[in-house]
Amino acid sequence: MTSAYFISQLMNGLCLGAIYALIALGVAVIIGIVGFATFTQGEVVMMGAYISFYVFLYGGNHVIPGILGSFIATWVLGMIIYKICYARFLDAPEHISLICTIGFSMLLKNIALIFFGADKKPMLNVIKSINYHFGPITVSNVQLLILGTVLILVLILSFVFTKTDWGIRLKAVSQNREAAALIGIDVEKTAMIGNSIGCALAGAAGTLIGIYYQSCYPTMGATLSMKAFTSATLGGLTSVPFAALGGILIGIIENIGIAFSSASFRDMFSFGFLILMLIFKPTGFARKRSVRA
Amino acid sequence: MLLSVNDVSVNYGYVEALRHIHFYVDKGEIVTLIGSNGAGKTSTLKTISNIVKRTSGTIMFKDKDITGYRPNDIVALGMCHVPEGRQIFPYMSVKDNLIAGSFGNKKLSSTDREHLMEEMFEWFPRLKERYRQDGGTLSGGEQQMLAIARGLMMDPDIVMLDEPSLGLAPIVVEEIFELINKIRELGKTILLIEQNAAMALGIADRGYVMENGRITMTGTGQELLENEKVKAAYLGS
Repeated sequence: MTSAYFISQLMNGLCLGAIYALIALGVAVIIGIVGFATFTQGEVVMMGAYISFYVFLYGGNHVIPGILGSFIATWVLGMIIYKICYARFLDAPEHISLICTIGFSMLLKNIALIFFGADKKPMLNVIKSINYHFGPITVSNVQLLILGTVLILVLILSFVFTKTDWGIRLKAVSQNREAAALIGIDVEKTAMIGNSIGCALAGAAGTLIGIYYQSCYPTMGATLSMKAFTSATLGGLTSVPFAALGGILIGIIENIGIAFSSASFRDMFSFGFLILMLIFKPTGFARKRSVRA
Repeated sequence: MLLSVNDVSVNYGYVEALRHIHFYVDKGEIVTLIGSNGAGKTSTLKTISNIVKRTSGTIMFKDKDITGYRPNDIVALGMCHVPEGRQIFPYMSVKDNLIAGSFGNKKLSSTDREHLMEEMFEWFPRLKERYRQDGGTLSGGEQQMLAIARGLMMDPDIVMLDEPSLGLAPIVVEEIFELINKIRELGKTILLIEQNAAMALGIADRGYVMENGRITMTGTGQELLENEKVKAAYLGS
């Protein structure tokens, strides 16, 4: 194995990790604000990929409309998911809505099979690939696009959360629903927006994966859902920055693992890492901040 | 009448928490509900805010029947509910907690908000010192002050306080009661729930005594303070 190969796998891992991070951020936002786990995230990614596929097909290969299109469409999808899977089960035990999201993910997958077909749709040359060389490191413009997009979305997200009134609303609902209602926050609307933010991030990630792998297909969400959940677990489920770190770590570990073995072992490395984490540090990386009673 | 609770009953499953509760609060008054643990005081407030669903009865606020309103719509009418156990947002800074408190009043402009925040910092210099700190790192008394300040940030007409003195040192309890008087001086109406019956009746215009989900006695603060039954049951003398 040459070091060039190793470095290119590392870059590859970083890019995939950035995409996982985006999906995991969505999961962390949803779990934090809605208060329930989600297993539809992978299918939302898939829907996002298909939306941008059709945007590219009919509107030409322009990256920004593709990302915007899937962002907006999955935002709406997030509202639908909230209404179906969460709104009526807020006072019910957690597993009810959890199972509901699993059911809804199957529904989405099958809707995709019926309307989009079972075959892989090619998303070829959305942007023309150019390689840049920095010493031993080779980076393609696609990779830079992915890293840049993830970075921009993360910056926007952190701006919304730390600097705007909506951020305060979202945090208030995630920290204490009852108190949020008592100071006049519309908890249901806020939770729905939180869910939509989480889904729209996944939708944008779908576009990026489609561009990176140059294809999309109805079952692409299955393992992504698990990996996003894994990454979020590394962050203690609700910590947004640590979920992102978890995503990047998983991407890198996977690809370094592949570099030493074979690509068919990809999932073994990520989930093996999850199992190790759960054994040795089950609370994730996130440190609980101290609170006085 | 600013607020009236008419014939309200609440059941938790098969347990009757409130049975045909009847009381009212006039504008500018301090009214207190006293009673022991489990008498239904907190349930009463939660029913008014519609966090707990009532079984029967109506609640009127500012001549509107608010019985079916959502909690945030009730707040928007000018009702502030400072819940039991403070319930501030522990991972948000003191400043953000206060900003969150102003969301209930849609009429506030951003300058109004700044004004109110300045006022709150004048009232509570300790909150000003700690305004960047997470709410959860404050002491119990400071958290209670933050909870009250957060409630006042919406510039409400009525403030409902649920056991503000719970678990606080006597000297801090004094401070809280001074504060309640100050809130009244702003022209606000107060509905106060307390286990500390002596202090509550001392500042209240009128009081109601609750037992087992019923209102069993009513009168002015002074009358209740001198009532033999109240003395025996709640004042420990």
